Amino acid sequence: MNGFSLHRAWAIARKEVMHVLRDPFTLALALGLPVMLVTFFGYAIDFEVRDIKVAVADRDNGPAARRLKEIFSASGYFQVLEAADPVGMLDSRRADAALFIEPGFSRDAQGGRPARAQFVLDGSDNSKGAVMMAYLPGIQRAAAARIYGLEPAFAPLSVETRFLFNPELSSRWFMVPGLAVIIIGLLAILLTAMTVAREWENGSMELLLSTPVRPLEIIIGKLAPYGLLVLTGVFFVYLSARLVFGVPFEGSHLLFLLACLLFITAALSQGLFISVAARQQQVAMQVAIISGLLPSMLLSGFIFPVESMPAFFQYFTMILPPRWFMVAARGIFLKGSGLAELAVPLAALAALSLLLLALALKKFKTDLEP
Amino acid sequence: MNPTLKAFIKKELVQTLRDTRMRVLLFGAPILQLTIFGLALSTEIKNIKLAVFSQPGDTAAVRLAEDFYSSGWFKPSVFRPGEDPFELIGSGRADAVLIMPAGGLGRAAGRAEGRMQLLVDASNATKARVVEAYARTITARAAAAYGPAPEQPLSFDVRVLYNPAMESSLFLVPGVMGMLVCLVTIILTAMSLTRERELGTFETIVSAPLSDAEILLGKTLPFVLLGLVVFSLVLTAAHLIFGVPVRGPLWQLFLAAFVFVVTTVSVGTSISTLAKNQQQAMLGGFMFLFPAILMSGIMYPVENMPAAVIGAAYLDPLMYFMRLLRSIMLKGGDLQVFWTNVGALALMAVFAAGLAYNRFKQTLD
Amino acid sequence: MNACALEVKGLSIKFGDFTAVDDVSFCVNKGEIFGFLGANGAGKTTTIRMLCGLLTPTSGSATVGGLGFSDGGKGIKRIVGYMSQKFTLYNDLTVGENLDFAAGLRKLEPAYAKKRRAELFELTGFDRPLSTMVASLPGGIKQELALAAAMLHDPEIVFLDEPTSGVAPASRARFWALIRKVTALGKTVIVTTHYMDEAEQCGRIALMRTGRLIALGSPDELKASAFPGPMTELDFNGPAPAEFLKGLEKAPGLLELSPHGMRWHAAFRDTSAMAAALAGLPAGASRALIKPSLEDVFIRLVEGTER
Repeated sequence: MNGFSLHRAWAIARKEVMHVLRDPFTLALALGLPVMLVTFFGYAIDFEVRDIKVAVADRDNGPAARRLKEIFSASGYFQVLEAADPVGMLDSRRADAALFIEPGFSRDAQGGRPARAQFVLDGSDNSKGAVMMAYLPGIQRAAAARIYGLEPAFAPLSVETRFLFNPELSSRWFMVPGLAVIIIGLLAILLTAMTVAREWENGSMELLLSTPVRPLEIIIGKLAPYGLLVLTGVFFVYLSARLVFGVPFEGSHLLFLLACLLFITAALSQGLFISVAARQQQVAMQVAIISGLLPSMLLSGFIFPVESMPAFFQYFTMILPPRWFMVAARGIFLKGSGLAELAVPLAALAALSLLLLALALKKFKTDLEP
Repeated sequence: MNPTLKAFIKKELVQTLRDTRMRVLLFGAPILQLTIFGLALSTEIKNIKLAVFSQPGDTAAVRLAEDFYSSGWFKPSVFRPGEDPFELIGSGRADAVLIMPAGGLGRAAGRAEGRMQLLVDASNATKARVVEAYARTITARAAAAYGPAPEQPLSFDVRVLYNPAMESSLFLVPGVMGMLVCLVTIILTAMSLTRERELGTFETIVSAPLSDAEILLGKTLPFVLLGLVVFSLVLTAAHLIFGVPVRGPLWQLFLAAFVFVVTTVSVGTSISTLAKNQQQAMLGGFMFLFPAILMSGIMYPVENMPAAVIGAAYLDPLMYFMRLLRSIMLKGGDLQVFWTNVGALALMAVFAAGLAYNRFKQTLD
Repeated sequence: MNACALEVKGLSIKFGDFTAVDDVSFCVNKGEIFGFLGANGAGKTTTIRMLCGLLTPTSGSATVGGLGFSDGGKGIKRIVGYMSQKFTLYNDLTVGENLDFAAGLRKLEPAYAKKRRAELFELTGFDRPLSTMVASLPGGIKQELALAAAMLHDPEIVFLDEPTSGVAPASRARFWALIRKVTALGKTVIVTTHYMDEAEQCGRIALMRTGRLIALGSPDELKASAFPGPMTELDFNGPAPAEFLKGLEKAPGLLELSPHGMRWHAAFRDTSAMAAALAGLPAGASRALIKPSLEDVFIRLVEGTER
C-alpha cells in the first residue's frame, strides 16, 4: 500500500497537459468556444415579442375600421397586413393573428353603439399567444378614446412597478450569465468525458495501472489541468459579459471564483464519471451529450424557470449542477448576492462535486480490482 | 438491393444495437427525455414568490393579496414584519413585493387613488415582464369591487386556433422531438468514420473494389434508418403521452423527417471525416448541436434575432424541421409552408451530403 | 519475364514534398512469398498500399496481375486481398458477421461466400462456432481469421502488412505455416515484417530504406552479396577488451563489426584479411566461423550505410 502522492498526480496532470497542448483544436475550443458562443448568443437571443403580424380582413371599410387599424399599428406591438384570407395566412405562418372587421362596424361606432371585431390568434406558440391577448385591453382603451372620444376612466386601483436589478429589463443581462453557465458546464463535461475511456480503449490504462499510481491520483491529475483550462475560458467569458454586454457585476469576485471552482469541479467530475463508467469513447460521448446538453439547457432554469415546473421536477432538477450555478451566477452578477444568500446553491454544488467525484473514484476502484 | 449496402446496413445495425447500453441510449433515452421535458417544461410562469406589505387591519389589502395567491401564479413569500422589501428580494426569498398604500387600500381606492407599488426582481427580465402583466390583470379584476368597471365600447371576440387551451406542451413537445432526433443522429454518426480509422478497419473497407459513393452510402444509410426509427418512436410517445395531435398527413411528416435526418446524418458524417480523433469528433458534434438547438426556435422566437445574425438561424436545419413539425402536427400542414421548408432542408441535405462526399474523398487520398 | 504476378518499374510516391517511395523497381513471381524488410517509415506500407490500389503512384508504372492504375486501382482491388497493419476485423461483431460483411464488401454471392468460408476454415483450421465474438478470440486466431476474411474472394495475390506484430511466437510460427499453405495453392503472398526469422522464410526479400529499394534477392543471395568473405563470431568470455576492438575496427578489409549480446560478429572481405585482423586476438577469446544471418545483412545494408 502506498499513500496519496501529489508527485504522481502531478506527473499525470503534466501528461494530460501535453495531450491538450498537442491538440490545438481542443485547446482553441476550450479557450475560445465559450466566449464565442456567449458573445454570439448573448447578442442573438431576445425574448421580447415584437412586430406581431396581424392580417386584417376589413369588410367594413369605414372610418372607424381604419382608425382601429391605426391603433393596432400605432401600439408598436403589431404590424398590420391587409389580407383577403387571414386564416390562410395563419396556416402558412405569414401572420400571427387575424382581425375580422365586419360590415356595420363603423356605423355602430359612429352611432356610439358598442362595436365588435373578431380577433383570431395562432395559439400554437402559447406564450406568444398570451402576449397578444395581454395587449388587447390596451387596444380597447385606446379605441374608447380615439373612436368614441371618451375620457379615460380613472382606475380605482393601479400598480406602479419598479424593476429591481435590471430596470431596463434587458434580456441580455440575464441571458449572458445564463449562457456562460450552460456553455462552461457542457465544455467541462465534454473535455473529461473522453479522457479515461480513451486510455482504456488504446490500452494505455493498463500501462498506468502497472505503476504504483493510485486511482485518486489519476483522477486529480486528470481534473486539475482541465479545471485550469475551463477557468481560463470563464475569464474570457467574464470579460465579454462585462465589456461587450455591459452586464453589471454587483457581487464579490472572490465568491464568484469560489462558485466557478465548485461548478467546474462538479461538471468535470460528471464527465470523468461518465468516462470511467463507459470505458468506450463512443458510449462516453453519447452519455455526455445526452446527460449534458438537453438537461442543462432545458432544466437548469436557463430559459424555463425551475419554479414554474411541477413539484416533482423542481426536486429532480436539484441533481443538476448547472441549476445551482445558474442561481449563483445570476445572483452574483446582477443582485450582488453574498455568501449568506447563496449558502444553499454553493453547498449543493459542493455536495454534488463530492458525490460525482466519489462515484467516479468508486467505479474506478472497482474496475481496478482483479 | 446492392449487396454491399445490405452488408453495411446489417453490420452497422448489429454493431450499434448489440450493446444493451447503446440500445437504451438510442431508444430509451429519447422517450425518457421527451417525457421529462414534456412534463417539466412550461412557458407559463408560475409559483412567483410574492410578499404583500400592508398595514395591520387593512382588510381590502388582505382581500387583494388573496386574489393574487388564488390566481395560481403567485405563492406567498415568508417574511417577518418590518423586514426591508429590497432585502427580501435581494436574498431571493421573494420575487416580487407588493406595497399597499399607507392609509389602507380600501380608503385609497374609494378616492380612486389606490396606487400600489410593485417591486419586481428583474434579474430574470422575461419573468419580470410576466409578473407585471399578471399583477395588472389581477388588480384590474379586483377594481370591480370598487364600482363597475367602465364598459369598453369596443370588444373583441377572441378565438384561439390550433391550440385553444394554449397548452405549452403542445408547443414544446414537437420542438423536443426535433431536438432529440437531431441529437441521436449526430451522436450516431459524428464518430462512425473516425472510429473505423482509429481502429484500422477502415483500411479493409477501402481496399475493397467499391466506389466512394458506395462506401459513403454504406456508412450513412443505416443511420438514416435508425434516425427514422427514433423519430417514429418519439412521435408515438408524443401522441400517446401528451396527446399532441397529428393534424396533417403522415407522408408530410415522414418526408420532412427523412430529409432532415439525411441532413443531420450528412453533417455528422462530415464531422467524422474532419475529426482526427474521437474527442475532436465529439467536440465537433457539440459545436453543431449547441447552436442548432439554441437557434431552432424552441427556446425563444428566432424571428426576434438581430438582423446581423439572423442569417445564422436560416442555416440551422433544426429550425426548418421544427417549423415543419409544428405546422404539420398542429396546423394540418399547409402545403406552401411544407414545400418551402422541405425545400430549404433538401437544399441543406444536398449541400451537407456533398460536403461529406468531398471530405470523404479527400480522406481516402 | 512473363511469370511476374506483379511488376513495378521506377515507382515513386510523393506526399507533398516528402518522397515516401523513391524509384523502386522489382518483379514478384507467381506463387512466391515475397518479403519487404525495413525499419519503420522505410516505405514498406506505402508500397503495399499502392500495390493494393489504395494509392496512385506519382510516377513510374506498376502492373498487378496484369492490371494497371488507369481505372484508379479499382481493377487491382478486385483481384488482390489485403490485410492491413492494424486490426482489420470488428471486435464487436461475431466471426460470421465479420465474414458476411467482408463478403458484402466484395459483392460475393451468398452461396459462393459460404463455400469459400468452409474452404478457408479448412485451410486455417478454424473450428469455433460462427457466433463467437471476435473480441474473445486469441490474437493468433484473430490474425488467421483476418487472413481468411482477406481471402474470401479468392484473390490471386495477397498482401499482408506486418501480419504477426503483437502475436505470440508460437502463433507466429503457425501463421507462417499458413502462409506457406496459401502459396502452395498457387497464390502469391507479399508480406512485410520486421522479424528476421520470418524474413528467412520468404522466397525473396526486398530490403527498403528511406523509400529506396537497397537490396533484393533470396535470403542466401542477400547474405552472399552483403558478405562475400567469411564471417566470424568472437567470444571474449567476458567484456570485450576495448583496445582490441578499436584496432579491429580500423583493420583493413573489415566489412562489419557488430555486437550480438556478449559476442561480436566480424565480417571480412576475404580470408587473408580476416587472418591479418584477428592475429592479435587476446588469449582466452574464441572464434568460430559462422554463416551470416539476415540480421547481419540488415545491419550491414540498412544501418551500415548510414555510417
